[in-house]
Amino acid sequence: MPSPAGQRAPGSPGTPDPPGAPGPPGTETSLIARAQAGDVGAFERLSGAYADRLFMLLLRLLGDRGEAEDVAQEVMLRAWRGITRFRGQSSYFTWLYRIAVNEANRALEKRARRPVSAPIGADELQLPAPPADDPARQAENSELRRALGRALAGLPPALRTAIVLRDVEGLSTQQAAEIVGVSQAAFKSRLHQARLRVRAAIGDETLVTTGG
Amino acid sequence: MGTPGRSDDHEWSQQHLSHYVEGELGPPARRRLDRHALGCVECGRGLRAMRALVYAAQGLDGLAGVRAPATIFDRVRLAAAGGSPTPPNA
Repeated sequence: MPSPAGQRAPGSPGTPDPPGAPGPPGTETSLIARAQAGDVGAFERLSGAYADRLFMLLLRLLGDRGEAEDVAQEVMLRAWRGITRFRGQSSYFTWLYRIAVNEANRALEKRARRPVSAPIGADELQLPAPPADDPARQAENSELRRALGRALAGLPPALRTAIVLRDVEGLSTQQAAEIVGVSQAAFKSRLHQARLRVRAAIGDETLVTTGG
Repeated sequence: MGTPGRSDDHEWSQQHLSHYVEGELGPPARRRLDRHALGCVECGRGLRAMRALVYAAQGLDGLAGVRAPATIFDRVRLAAAGGSPTPPNA
């Protein structure tokens, strides 16, 4: 059961902010204080610095652009409503991401309860191809991305979240575990399971020949 | 048993490929897996596949062409406009 936004700050002190933090050191602290005092403009500047990345995360977890847009609005609303409970025990980014993961899980639970649940869109889980000079290599990469998108789409939400946070987003195990709200050991176990399933879905041969 | 490259280490290696790629194994455990993977086609390929998987997933990162919708703060603005000067839970 996801915890409500802002119920507790999901991390430990000293977690470095990711790229995109709004301005030089101290700026974020000042924006948090102003947002906590009710300055909606400060809140938008504070959270807007992470909006693109957060939306991308939701797109990857939900696989549906319309739903990701709806959940993104809800995440921001919950963050606004919970901002006064943010105590800086984790970075603001970690705190915001945790709300996003909880809201995405809530949306996925709702979807699962519907009589006919729409399958997650594998295409939405893919991203633009990085530039490649060799057309053959580009085609192979594209094939692998599609396969990866399909495999991620087929994972249970907890496993998909693990692989998206750690491997795709590149967060540290500590930060990803804080966002998900589990111990690092539990997170590593999920990540391992997720990778095994994706490996099995794509096949070692495909991975080695197209991704090696 | 008796198959070249297979040993009691096989199952252990299969279970630790992800941890190996993650850099979480200590030197003795890494050596154990390295030694086994050298003689085991399945584990050698599994290790390459696991590396390729993580590499490919990392390659999915990037924000090219994807932007948050302009409406992302709509509900916040609505709540702020209709509510108190401070966030609701202040």
